[in-house]
Order: sequence, then C-alpha cells, then structure tokens
Amino acid sequence: MTTLVDWFLVIVGQVLITVGVFCDLVASIAMLRFPNFYTRLHAATVGSIGGAFLPIVGVALVAAGADFLGSYRWFLFGASLVIAFIELLLAGAGSHALARATHRARAAPTKPLIIDQLEEDRSKGEV
Amino acid sequence: MPDLEWWVTTYLTVLMIPYLLAFLLYMVRIVKGPTLSDRVLAVDALGYDLAAFMTILTIILRSPLLIVCGVVLILWIFSLDIYVAKYLEARELGD
Repeated sequence: MTTLVDWFLVIVGQVLITVGVFCDLVASIAMLRFPNFYTRLHAATVGSIGGAFLPIVGVALVAAGADFLGSYRWFLFGASLVIAFIELLLAGAGSHALARATHRARAAPTKPLIIDQLEEDRSKGEV
Repeated sequence: MPDLEWWVTTYLTVLMIPYLLAFLLYMVRIVKGPTLSDRVLAVDALGYDLAAFMTILTIILRSPLLIVCGVVLILWIFSLDIYVAKYLEARELGD
C-alpha cells in the first residue's frame, strides 16, 4: 500500500537526484572549458560532491519510499547512506592529495596565474 | 495519482541520458588531458559519478547486490588518487 509519506520521500529523493545530475553536467562541461589543472580541480569537486554525493542521498530517500522493492528497501537505504558518507570523506581527500603532489612536482602549468606565494615560500625554504 | 513503481522507473530512466552525456564529456578530457594530473582528475570525477550511476541502476534494475560494487569502485578511485600523488611526489610507487 503506497502512502503519502512514500510519495513525499520519493519526490524529495528525485529532486536531489535531479540537482545532482545538473551539477554533473555542469562539472563535465567545466572540465572541458577550464584552462588549467588547478581550475579543473573545482570542476572535479563539483562533479564528485554535487554530482555524486547528492544523487546517492537521493537514491537512499527514493529507496526508503519505494515499497515495490520489497524487503530490500531498507538494505538499499542503509547501503546508499554508507556509500554517500564514504564518498564525502574520500573525494575531498583524494583531490587534495593530487593537487598537493602536482604543485610540489610542478607537473602542471599554471598559465593564467599571476602570483604564487606557496611557490615563493617553498623556493625560500620556509615551507 | 499515478503508479509509484511506474513513476520512479520512468523518471530515473530519463535521468540516465544527461548522466551518459556527462560521461562522454569526461571521457573527452581523459583522452585529451595535457598532463597526467588532468587525466587522473577526470578519471576521478568519472569514477565517483559511475558509483552514483550504479546506485541509480540498482533501483531501475531492482538488483540490490549491485550497490556493493559502488563501495568498491569509490575505494579503488581513492587508491588511484593516492598512488598517482605518491608517484608524482617521489617518482616511485613504493610497495
């Protein structure tokens, strides 16, 4: 029996998934259009938090409201929340590690950049 | 009121289209990327979005065990980040 609470959970979940898909599309366009690696980091983070964390939370809500899934509905709810939490922790940490290593190894050009104080401090031996 | 099962399945199936478009655009950056960091960053974003895609497929296909693959995919993508970061800093992969 489908109740009004089920419909509410499904609609809220679908709104979250829609916002996530929008973030994902914007991030993929920005990944193509941005000029260098350090600006593309912004696109990647929009794509991994807005484009993956939000839809997974949305899937958790949809699964909580979808009574046609039977006994698996609460399994899907819990597993989606666990995936969303792991993703929230690991996406930022991974991007930060990659950015730090790239900057230290000077592996990517910083073309439109005007001033780089981290590089100045490192060449003086302060960092 | 429409049928809940029909509504959820149709809506999520339509939402697959922009997701696939985003995957294509990420793949262009993976092929094009001028440096190693750009490629790894694009693989990173693509992998996290594939995990989200997989959780949505779980609802559409009604196969709950598919969601376990999402956890593994996220952990692999994170380990790829860490390995490439270590390679860029130390120029070796370690043990």
